[in-house]
Amino acid sequence: MATEYFLRMGDGKRVAMTREQIKEDAIAGAGHAVDYGLIPDLSADEIDKIVEICTMPGKSVSVELGMEIPVSHDIGTIRLDGDQGNSGVGIPSSRLVGMMMHERAFGADTMELGHIDYSFKPVKPIVSQECQTMEVAQQNMIVPLFYGAMPNMGLYYTPDGPYENPGDLLKAFKIEEAFASMEHSAEHLTRDIVWIMQKLYASGADGVNLDTTGAAGDADAFGTLNAVKALREEFPDMYIEVGSAGESWIGMHGMLEFEGTVLAGLWPHQQVKLVEKAGASIFGPAVNTNTSKTFPWNLARSITFTKECCKVSKIPIHVDMGMGVGGIPMLETPPIDAVTRASKAVVEMAGVDGI
Amino acid sequence: MPIAHIMASGMTGLRAGGDLVARMQLSKSMKIKEAKEYVAKKVGVDVFDLSDEYAMRDVREELGIGVITSVPGAPKGIAAKMNIEKVLDTKINCCDTFRNQLKQ
Amino acid sequence: MDKEAIFKELSDAMVSCKADMIMTATTKAVEAGVSSVDIIDGLAAGMTEVGDQFERGKLFLPHVMMAANGMQKAVDTLDMGEAGATVKKVIINGTVEGDVHDIGKSIVSTMLQSAGFEVHDLGRDVPNAKFIEAIKEYNADMVGLSALMTTTLNGQKEIIELLKANGMRSDIKVMVGGAPATNAWAEKIGADCYAENATEAVDKAKGLLL
Repeated sequence: MATEYFLRMGDGKRVAMTREQIKEDAIAGAGHAVDYGLIPDLSADEIDKIVEICTMPGKSVSVELGMEIPVSHDIGTIRLDGDQGNSGVGIPSSRLVGMMMHERAFGADTMELGHIDYSFKPVKPIVSQECQTMEVAQQNMIVPLFYGAMPNMGLYYTPDGPYENPGDLLKAFKIEEAFASMEHSAEHLTRDIVWIMQKLYASGADGVNLDTTGAAGDADAFGTLNAVKALREEFPDMYIEVGSAGESWIGMHGMLEFEGTVLAGLWPHQQVKLVEKAGASIFGPAVNTNTSKTFPWNLARSITFTKECCKVSKIPIHVDMGMGVGGIPMLETPPIDAVTRASKAVVEMAGVDGI
Repeated sequence: MPIAHIMASGMTGLRAGGDLVARMQLSKSMKIKEAKEYVAKKVGVDVFDLSDEYAMRDVREELGIGVITSVPGAPKGIAAKMNIEKVLDTKINCCDTFRNQLKQ
Repeated sequence: MDKEAIFKELSDAMVSCKADMIMTATTKAVEAGVSSVDIIDGLAAGMTEVGDQFERGKLFLPHVMMAANGMQKAVDTLDMGEAGATVKKVIINGTVEGDVHDIGKSIVSTMLQSAGFEVHDLGRDVPNAKFIEAIKEYNADMVGLSALMTTTLNGQKEIIELLKANGMRSDIKVMVGGAPATNAWAEKIGADCYAENATEAVDKAKGLLL
């Protein structure tokens, strides 16, 4: 009887797989990325490497010495003292304490200040609080410190915002009205991101992390890229990190362009070229985990997309590797065996510049 | 989960030289190889030593660029960053802000 | 023109997402003596292809709507004969109480509607009781429950419990979705299925209802 290895499903559940099953799934996962992204496949050696990493006996694995990379953080501090409903552990600690814990106790290479309602629009009424906190944090911290939030353009639609929900308009076949709603919302988003970051940069922020860009579709990415462009023009030295929401920007609009390229339907190796043009410092591609597939399937798919992204990118790539992203299972407490294997694989195989 | 990544793949920040490499990636969009080579040259170590706590401990203390333990008298926070600016030949926004707030 | 060629023409017309092309292909099929049921099958095959192209990022949501609109207009011109008007299966869709995410859920509603279901999208942050009311009001065949946060995920379980308490559980199919939801979660709470994305939601709805 063939040896079985304990791996994970995309939802975190343990599953026993033989070497052959692992290899089959890795080939299938990579093939899925090739089919959808129209990108090169992984080689036989690369598939073997994935199998090797998956079948290592230790609970946690790590990169070879000398291959270490910086690990940048989104959110971070809020996970300690906060509870947004999906990640917080509820330790009563201030945001500054959280940030310094990451810097001094956890070995973080960068950190981020963010607020509990982690989107840009809600920052506007509390921007003074954020500025004060950033000032104090910068006095105390040493690692690069961003201000981070999600563009989250959905907040500009009714009932939270002034523009009618384009999803509802599309279902009612009011297509032109839906386009207008998305375009106006994107303008507001750009304006808000720029305004907020003008204030935070004046308070000493090293830069901005635009987390889950494209989450509300191509118009969300459009608004964000225009904000990046405006910020880069005004602040040539600002650190600008753009993290994507997923491997494909959903075409809610379908016709919005940035610098002559249609945004809808772009894959990571295409997303990064626009992020570069906009003037970002680094890009974080995101490949979402399919919870019904195995870890080898998800990992191979993630590496296939990420590798092509790294190959074509002129700016550093800090691949998104959170829960449910980058091959990591979708679970509030992602299993360490899966996290470390995904971490090692993406560094050694995809050529990322950071995580 | 971040700790799992840091243990598996990270340069471990102030424990070694990870924050310095990250700064060069962010400030100059340097890819990993270029960023490591740049920082290694500036701080006077081999690239391989940038993730080595032993190699980087004394270097960080001597250069005043921040050490992981809270050594009394060692530059911290903004002071350490001002030293990082000089060592890496880069500008750090909050240091500029700080300098501009000083009254003559 | 043989039936297979007409079938392909209907499907290709759908993928063009142009109402006039869909109508032209439908009229041609009628004139060629193809039955209304077969014509609808041809158009539906095209709609499935539209859904696949949407997942691949080759077609976008407005295209999906235009294809669906074109298909509806074409189907409305067909003589259904003894079969009469097609009765659509009814789906109630919404994001559970306390959760304000709705982009993914709206895309699912759009795709289900495009696939020929009668969809009533209740929006987001929908109180449990409102789901029950809507199911009764529209005599729904399925309810789709979306949750994007692990704390609101439990709302899906609560609604299933409420359906049981109201004696309605056996009369309705329950589909769950959203980032933290999984197959294992769906099994645990007694849902009928879990859908990873909009295309899968359509496939699962068809599998359970048609």
